[in-house]
Amino acid sequence: MSDVDFRERFSPVSGPQTTNLADILERVLDKGIVIAGDIKIDLLDIELLTIRLRLFVASVDTAKKAGIDWWETDPALSSRASRSALQEENRALRERLEALETHTKDALPKR
Amino acid sequence: MTERGPERSDANATYVFAVCRNPDPSAVAGLPGVTDKAPVSTLSLETLTAIVQTVRACEFTNEAWQARLCDQRQLERYARAHHDVVAAVAACCPTVPLPMATLYQSEERVRDALANEADRFHAALKRIAHHAEWGVKVYVPSCPPDDSNRSTTPADRSRPAPGAGLAYLDRKRGAQERRERRQDEALQAAEAVDAEVRSLATASRRLRLHGPQLAGERRVQVLNATYLVAEHRAAELTLLAQALGERTGAQIELSGPWVPYSFVGEV
Repeated sequence: MSDVDFRERFSPVSGPQTTNLADILERVLDKGIVIAGDIKIDLLDIELLTIRLRLFVASVDTAKKAGIDWWETDPALSSRASRSALQEENRALRERLEALETHTKDALPKR
Repeated sequence: MTERGPERSDANATYVFAVCRNPDPSAVAGLPGVTDKAPVSTLSLETLTAIVQTVRACEFTNEAWQARLCDQRQLERYARAHHDVVAAVAACCPTVPLPMATLYQSEERVRDALANEADRFHAALKRIAHHAEWGVKVYVPSCPPDDSNRSTTPADRSRPAPGAGLAYLDRKRGAQERRERRQDEALQAAEAVDAEVRSLATASRRLRLHGPQLAGERRVQVLNATYLVAEHRAAELTLLAQALGERTGAQIELSGPWVPYSFVGEV
């Protein structure tokens, strides 16, 4: 079979007339053919990202009007926010551990 | 040493949208793509053609993408630009879309890297030949507000009638049962729709369900799936979706035909 034959039998696929952003995102970001690029783009959090994205993709216009920007500080959406959230959690845990240790020491019966 | 790295602000990179067979170069002419630096163009591989665009490397680093992924307007812009190019190419020839943000350091690197994958591209082209992707979403009405508090006349609130507590619990229990029954029915409708559509599809995939903000307040999405359907069965699918909607009482949304994004990878 030659390629010309193939083209003659090919009917074009161009995409639906109305394409909402969520429909596009779950296709262009989701599992396609996996080809390693030279420039490593870390889309590891894409699963989480798309889940969160749906929450605002739904209402892009309303979100825009309302100036909603919560995702900028959402750990799942921002690596910077994620780092600071982890640091904050780490700090809080250390403090708690310290407090507990002090408390346990005080509470131990003296022998 | 003339190596150009992404750290140099004038360095270039090559963005790849898709790989296809025998494209008409005019199909992508005039499309903006993802940058204003250079037009979208074709890059001949051995048996295939890549659809590429030269971009400024500094605008397509991981950091730049991370920022983009957090900004809905930017993300929408890039997602639609990517999709527009893929759709335009697919309209003229068999096309395997690549995921958004596939980048190489140069056109030579694209040639080298993609030539190694030629077998996979040919296999994907074969799999999706004469097929399109169709999305099917099923919605049921969301639960009406809990009416268990309104089933009796709103008598004097300060003095509940004897047995009012028990009656209240009974009503609550009844509401809970109704809710569970509705959920079961909704899930059954979703499974029924999926099973019927799969019977005429070549392949299928479930996508994540949309939350209430995307689905809307008045309905709950119970199925978000996508199907690879042969061209000659597209009309049948439309009729089936209509019939299933009537039979199950659920609201069924069909979207397509899409370039088979969801079916070019390893399935």
